[in-house]
Amino acid sequence: MNFKHKYFFLFPGLFVLIGILIFPIIFVVRLSLSGWNSYNPGLDYIGLENYIRLFTDDPRFWESFFRLSFLSVTTVILQYVIGFALAHMVWKDIKFKRFFRVLFLVPMMTTPVIMTVIWRTFFHESLGPVNDLLSVFGVAPKWLTDPVIAKFTVIIVEVWQWTPFMFLLLLAGLLSLPKEPFLAAAIDGASPVRKFIYVTFPLMAPISIGAIIIRLIEASKIMDTVYVLTSGGPGTSTETSSFYIFIKGLREFQMGYAASMSFTYLIIMIISLTIIAKVLTKVLLKE
Amino acid sequence: MDLVANNLSYKPDDQYHLNEVSFNFREGNLYTILGRTLSGKTTLLKTIAGLLTPDSGEIEFDGKNFLKIPVWERNVAMVYQQFINYPHLNVFENIAFPLKQRKIDKSIIKEKVMDALKSVGLLGYENRKIQELSGGQQQRVSLARSLVKNAKILLLDEPLVNLDYKLREQLREEFKNLFSKGLADETILIYSTTDPRETMELNGEVIVLDEGKVLQVGPAKEIFENPNSLKVAEISNDPPMNIIEAKISDNQIRFEGVDVEAPQHLSKLTEDGLKIGLRSSDIELSENGHEFEVELAEISGSETLLHLKRGNTKIIVSIEEVLNFKIHDKVKINFKIDRAYAFHADGKLASSPFGDLNG
Repeated sequence: MNFKHKYFFLFPGLFVLIGILIFPIIFVVRLSLSGWNSYNPGLDYIGLENYIRLFTDDPRFWESFFRLSFLSVTTVILQYVIGFALAHMVWKDIKFKRFFRVLFLVPMMTTPVIMTVIWRTFFHESLGPVNDLLSVFGVAPKWLTDPVIAKFTVIIVEVWQWTPFMFLLLLAGLLSLPKEPFLAAAIDGASPVRKFIYVTFPLMAPISIGAIIIRLIEASKIMDTVYVLTSGGPGTSTETSSFYIFIKGLREFQMGYAASMSFTYLIIMIISLTIIAKVLTKVLLKE
Repeated sequence: MDLVANNLSYKPDDQYHLNEVSFNFREGNLYTILGRTLSGKTTLLKTIAGLLTPDSGEIEFDGKNFLKIPVWERNVAMVYQQFINYPHLNVFENIAFPLKQRKIDKSIIKEKVMDALKSVGLLGYENRKIQELSGGQQQRVSLARSLVKNAKILLLDEPLVNLDYKLREQLREEFKNLFSKGLADETILIYSTTDPRETMELNGEVIVLDEGKVLQVGPAKEIFENPNSLKVAEISNDPPMNIIEAKISDNQIRFEGVDVEAPQHLSKLTEDGLKIGLRSSDIELSENGHEFEVELAEISGSETLLHLKRGNTKIIVSIEEVLNFKIHDKVKINFKIDRAYAFHADGKLASSPFGDLNG
């Protein structure tokens, strides 16, 4: 196919791509090589100084990164397990199926920031209803101020907020499965549990991988929940990468340094997600 | 160990899928369920397998109430008309699936799977993906999967219907060999089909099913020779038996101005509304026969099917050679009338060339 004006017709798409994807990345790279901060705003050139600082002199970034890995992997695993269980439940013919299908989607329809404010009220140590109930048993966990428990509070809120998304993807997957293998499996002597292990789960593997990757990407950007719920606290115990970059960039206005962190973070995410996708494909699809 | 059913009925909508079906299947035998599409064949097999629960009636196997046993504990195997396999497993894993559901040693599984592969002629294909196989091969895989578990009840639901002509012939031949030698004596084999020829070739006990009702039960030969009603005669012949409304008087069968001398077994039937049944193969072209007009001539394989008409009477003649006819051609035919059947007005068999039914 040889068509004179093809570049003319390619241009609008290319223009958008350059505008929203390529230019920002190039600009971030350039920014990361500058010392732009609130005293000295401007694109000067300081070489790799920011990167040297990041790799040799900033344990807080790496701590926040490993914390982020822990949080996102844990939440996604929980979301997957719970989402699969719920989807499997309403996939079968049960009573009020339609009602449950809508009910399970409600958290996704709410605004995360507002819901997190409500959760914060829930988990308030002295005024929240959760501790009010738990006081019957004589315990009052410090949901938001204990460095360890606060992490789990973040996990609870994230799981609540985003399990419906997983549920939706997995239910769509289940509904698109062919019926015949299930007939065959029943006749071949597979009990319901074995049918799940040997038929449902393997058939769901491709869609599971997709859902998990999508959620991992989303979960690794976790920001609003942390911001509203704990503001990274107590101390830095719930601080994640994006939140730390936000503090450095938009609170302390070290734009150059924040840009170098963003770019490093982007590279790490691309590499690790590629590896994760490969591993998941290998394990789940046995390919 | 017998499989006995009493008055099975299943009526999910306003039509009966099964209507008071009863049978007594004995081990070591082959049963063919013959019926047109939507006659309830698949419903019946699914009920036996446990994929459907009938509205009423009982099934007993080995003296135990079969309906109380869940599907996966019934020890049945089933081959469907659609080639059902596990898309995520390869050929070997597909066939090994039923064995893996029990705790069987791996080396024994391998041995059994290889045996099954051999008996369906798929040795060397064990590592292929299911999607890479042709329809016939996929059906062989599902057949192997059903053979490998040595089920006490083996159900085959029109296993050949979705295959092309050549493959069908070939697999049918293989089925016959497999059934005659390979199966253990204690297996009950139930085979459903719409094809009378298949029924005759398999030569088992035949159950003729129509609209969920059992019309006739008997050996293939008997169904073919003595269909107990018009319906059975239609279902058990392909092309369907010709039905001619005729009158018998003075030892002559008369219709549309044709007079044919009545054979002995028909000569005494002088009632009104009599219907004469004659197979399409029992009519031949003949120089000094009766004149009919060609409505349609179709060539299928090595035979020609002539759709003929005279007055209001339409008949089909099958001729064992390829002949070319034009529409509205006149042909002369002769009836092998001593092979004719007679049915009463209500559809019951009145007389058959193979002797009386009540005999």
